[in-house]
Amino acid sequence: MPLETATALACRRCAAALERDDLRCPICGLASTALAPRPEKSSAVLVRCKSCRAVVAYSAVDQAPKCAYCGAVAEVETPEDPVEQAQAFLPFHVGNDQALETLRGFLAKRSFFRPADLSAKASLAELKALWWPAWVCNAKALVSWSADSDAGHRRSDWAPHSGQTELVFRNLVLSAARGLSDPETRSLAPAYDLSAAAAAPKGPAGALTEQFDTSRSGARRRIHEALEARAAEHARGEVPGSRSRNLHVAALLTGLETSRYALPAYVFAYRYRKKLYRVVVHGQDAQVVIGKAPISGWRVAAVVAAGVLALAAALAAVLLWRH
Amino acid sequence: MNLRCDSCGAQLVLESERRTALCPYCGSTSIVERPPAADRPNPAFAMGFAVPRDQVFAKAREWLAGRTLFARSGVRRAALEGIQGIYLPAYLYSAVAHADYEAEIGEHYQETETYQTQENGKTVTKTRQVTRTEWRPLSGRLSEYVADVLVTASKGLPNAELEAVEPFDLRLLKRYQPALLSGWIAEEPSLTGAQCLELARGEASQALEKKVREFMPGDEVRSLSHRTEVAQESLDLCLVPVWVMAARYDQQQPPMRIVVNGQSGMIAGKVPLSWIKITLAVLAAAAAVGAFAWLLLQHKP
Repeated sequence: MPLETATALACRRCAAALERDDLRCPICGLASTALAPRPEKSSAVLVRCKSCRAVVAYSAVDQAPKCAYCGAVAEVETPEDPVEQAQAFLPFHVGNDQALETLRGFLAKRSFFRPADLSAKASLAELKALWWPAWVCNAKALVSWSADSDAGHRRSDWAPHSGQTELVFRNLVLSAARGLSDPETRSLAPAYDLSAAAAAPKGPAGALTEQFDTSRSGARRRIHEALEARAAEHARGEVPGSRSRNLHVAALLTGLETSRYALPAYVFAYRYRKKLYRVVVHGQDAQVVIGKAPISGWRVAAVVAAGVLALAAALAAVLLWRH
Repeated sequence: MNLRCDSCGAQLVLESERRTALCPYCGSTSIVERPPAADRPNPAFAMGFAVPRDQVFAKAREWLAGRTLFARSGVRRAALEGIQGIYLPAYLYSAVAHADYEAEIGEHYQETETYQTQENGKTVTKTRQVTRTEWRPLSGRLSEYVADVLVTASKGLPNAELEAVEPFDLRLLKRYQPALLSGWIAEEPSLTGAQCLELARGEASQALEKKVREFMPGDEVRSLSHRTEVAQESLDLCLVPVWVMAARYDQQQPPMRIVVNGQSGMIAGKVPLSWIKITLAVLAAAAAVGAFAWLLLQHKP
């Protein structure tokens, strides 16, 4: 059986994109390092101090070769683990005024449980245009799953099932933002036009850029976990029946490519009756708006009271009918 | 083969199993680079020592002092000899694994059972809830990468001894560079690639078996079997740091070997047990049980 080795920039086993100084593929573990050729004839090599030319020995205390004479510590080549940086910025297509208009529309939206005076009484506390950090991934996954479900059950409520399915992630946006919640970024993600990416930010004056706050290795771990979580979500949909339990999922990822993006959005904070609420407006599509609105306590109480009254009336009617 | 010490010009004594050579005249450690040979690939990776000699000595003393009471006398105060830091050749194995499994999955359900019992001298019929298991067949395929399997490539340190001091933090792997070996003993592989591949496949199979068992749904599992197909295997030689020393607890007995992970400080060694102590302990326990039973019988009305 031939043994595999990796090429410089793409793993030959799983086709994951590799960084230049990766020693091993972070997905499948295949060595990506180019081996130094063995010499044609034997030789005895001494490692010498660059300062005083004395022979140096590797020091377990300094975890590097150290000269016992002059104390110089030689640098050992170690894999870099830099903090992630955005490679591409998506431009804002929605201006400040349009975003404000979207916020007003959101506040004016009618809903039975919203206070009637929300639009009139809400005051804008903060408006922030920002680029939030995200990884955009392309990958394939062979997803193996097993679970119990109610499909095909007999005496027990559960029957075992298993399956394997292929899944393609194309332009999957995974949030690296600390300031935005997962439901918010998931709602924003599908509406971005990734083809408009540019190397420099283009948007309203004063717009902030939230930086990635994780190193390359940390990012890879998070991306891997996020892809496995998405694979598990997909597998849940594959399980037959209406109820399931004991879902186990394993994902074999191939061809993972990741790009680091900065994605535009507006974050508003508004105050209603001394309490702050947040609304996020998409930076490229003003139709996409996610936010929280207060609930009118009176209206909720009215619905509960009406329900209680209706129940009491129904009970009274039954009692009267019996007598 | 004769090579000269690059420091003082003296002839070096080269051992074929060693990747480093110590000059007996000037004490310099040379790294021996040899042309390719069968089963001796160039190391791809190395991990540097992080636990220094004095710490290893203290840890080993502490470890010996904490051994079981049933160890041979002298073990807990054994003299430590010949502490050596060695870069051990080991292979890092990875592959794609597809496991086809078959099992019977037990799904629990509740059933009401009628039974008869005696109450106030009368036979009464009652009901109770009992849990029963319905067995259903399940077969499927689990595919995933098997990575980070490390096996020895040295005849000097069997794989079980390396496993005993694992894990090594593979995030700290470095590309092989001779400077990491300078001043230390480094071995060349003495097991063949084929032998190491078999060892690695065995370890990978065990890991996969555990994974398949954890993958099963249901409340119970029985008759689980799996057939695993591995593809795209890779073996990469790396040099891992271990401290090896001898603990001499009896001048008449061979010393006991202690192995310490040079990166994490984890210690392992096979402690010789004293059969006399074990026999005496068993006899004492039997005597205590017998005495207790005798006392019970004496006090029985």
